[in-house]
Amino acid sequence: MSEHVEADALTGPPRGVKARPLLRRRYLLPFALVLPIVIYEGLLIVYPIVQGIFGSFTRIELASSAATTWVGWDNYERMFSDPAFWKVIRVTLLFTGLVIVVALTVGLLTALLFNRPFRFRPFARGMLMMPWAIPEVPVVMIFIWILSPQFGVVNILARMLPGVTKNPQWLQVPELAMGWMVLISSWKAFPFYSLVILAALQAIPQELYESARVDGANRLQLFWNITFPGIGSTLELLVVLAAIFSFKQFTIIFLMTGGGPSGTTETIVIRIFNTAFRFYDYSYATALGVAGFVVSLAVALVFIMMQVRRAEDSA
Amino acid sequence: MVAKREDARVAAAKIDARRLFNTALLYLTVAVVSLIIVFPVYWMMISTFQPSKYILRFPPPLLPQELYFAQFAELFSEHPIAKWLRNSFLIAAMTMLLCMALSVLGAFALSNLRWPGRNLFGLFLLVTQMLPEVLILIPLYILYRRLNMLNSIPSLALIDAAFILPICIWILKGVFDNVPPEVLDASVVDGCTELGALWRIVLPLSAPGLAAVAVVAFFFAWNEYLYAGIMLSSGEFMPASVGLSTLKAIAQTPVEQYMAAGLVFSVLPVLFYLVMQKYIVSGLTAGAVKG
Repeated sequence: MSEHVEADALTGPPRGVKARPLLRRRYLLPFALVLPIVIYEGLLIVYPIVQGIFGSFTRIELASSAATTWVGWDNYERMFSDPAFWKVIRVTLLFTGLVIVVALTVGLLTALLFNRPFRFRPFARGMLMMPWAIPEVPVVMIFIWILSPQFGVVNILARMLPGVTKNPQWLQVPELAMGWMVLISSWKAFPFYSLVILAALQAIPQELYESARVDGANRLQLFWNITFPGIGSTLELLVVLAAIFSFKQFTIIFLMTGGGPSGTTETIVIRIFNTAFRFYDYSYATALGVAGFVVSLAVALVFIMMQVRRAEDSA
Repeated sequence: MVAKREDARVAAAKIDARRLFNTALLYLTVAVVSLIIVFPVYWMMISTFQPSKYILRFPPPLLPQELYFAQFAELFSEHPIAKWLRNSFLIAAMTMLLCMALSVLGAFALSNLRWPGRNLFGLFLLVTQMLPEVLILIPLYILYRRLNMLNSIPSLALIDAAFILPICIWILKGVFDNVPPEVLDASVVDGCTELGALWRIVLPLSAPGLAAVAVVAFFFAWNEYLYAGIMLSSGEFMPASVGLSTLKAIAQTPVEQYMAAGLVFSVLPVLFYLVMQKYIVSGLTAGAVKG
């Protein structure tokens, strides 16, 4: 009997099979296994978040030994009436939106290209993954060098444009700086999306294409009626993931522009960092952090709801 | 009769020509796209392996003019890069060990055991993985300051492991899901406990997944910049990600050394990520997509 129950407990994940009532003692093991993880993540992730929410209602003095004082909604009142905060929100939306569009478009196009059979394809795919595999700090180093106003290789291209006679100050002009932040972040991110889309493309049954071709469908029709529906749910998921990843982007922007010129590339994560570690205004920085937390939690919930829906569809 | 055969031959040649043109176009597109994608990496190599007199002119030559290898020795003698790499290695190794131990437990509970709260646990992991690291930085910094845990390599490894653990658990869960339940049933019928089954059946069958978790955890900590910069402000513990960001190209560090530093730092993560990409993708998408 007891062996029977054990076997039952081990057969998960459930695939539409109803669980037989289990002995209470059976749950001891999973809880014991999971408890250290919950405590660990609780201490290092959840507790700091709670502390941060609490801290955003106080005035924190780290330098002096003065006690933290309760200030109520002061930090939030300051935040919402601060034009700089709304500028940060606009910059964040612009950056995140542009990276989603650019990275996913390039990811989709390269996936469609690399889905076609050709020689050296495994090699070409390895190349495609290169930007994703390189750590962010060397990426920053490469692009600082490529964008150098004196010797940067990108100036060769810029000089080919009509009317450009001097090497541009790539990271000093607001529009150019934002453009490069989007391009570099997308360059780093798109291989991941491309790989995911490739996997979805390969899951589309080839017979669909063959029978549609027999019926005389052209390429565009094939794409709109077979390919696009086939990868639609994957693309949806990737939009949300791309939103999360680009919202988190810190290192590239921080090391290349620090948020400048004059705040035009300062997304909320950069702003939080600068407020805390440049201006030592920890309380206001935690309030900004709570604002960022609310946004990312909302996006994460969208992702989770899509996951649950997918799980239900496939069950 | 002859004319008819001639017609057929012309038609065949036409089809051949069209196919050839399409193939050529495909290869050309692939070549151009690959070139654009890989160019920044190519430029890093070019700038590393030739003396800067070629690269410090405008316009710079697009092909290497001369090979040069002394920059690596100069880099290691003029900058504490060996120490930086050693610190990175220590942080990464500790993060890796911690993650491997904990993710085996979590993934086994999530994949092979059935218990109430299992889905909730999965969601909990998913959410912690999606929050921007900087949001937790300030409270954690204040906490670490109070506890006197700043400037310590193990303390940083604790944080790195907390951030990457959820992804590691999702990766391993996907791998454990592939262990046939019948095998587990059989072992339990043979008198094995659940933990025994984990140790004797699940783990040996999941070697590639464990390797993937090791790679992901190791290089997450190796690459990590934000927390390393704040928590290890003293030069003694500075890891390479932070150290490299302090180098100033041209002004202080010759370009070939600067790019050589980037290259030295990237070689290992690039190699291992490319080998393990399939697992990493499934972990990052919480199993929604198997790459």
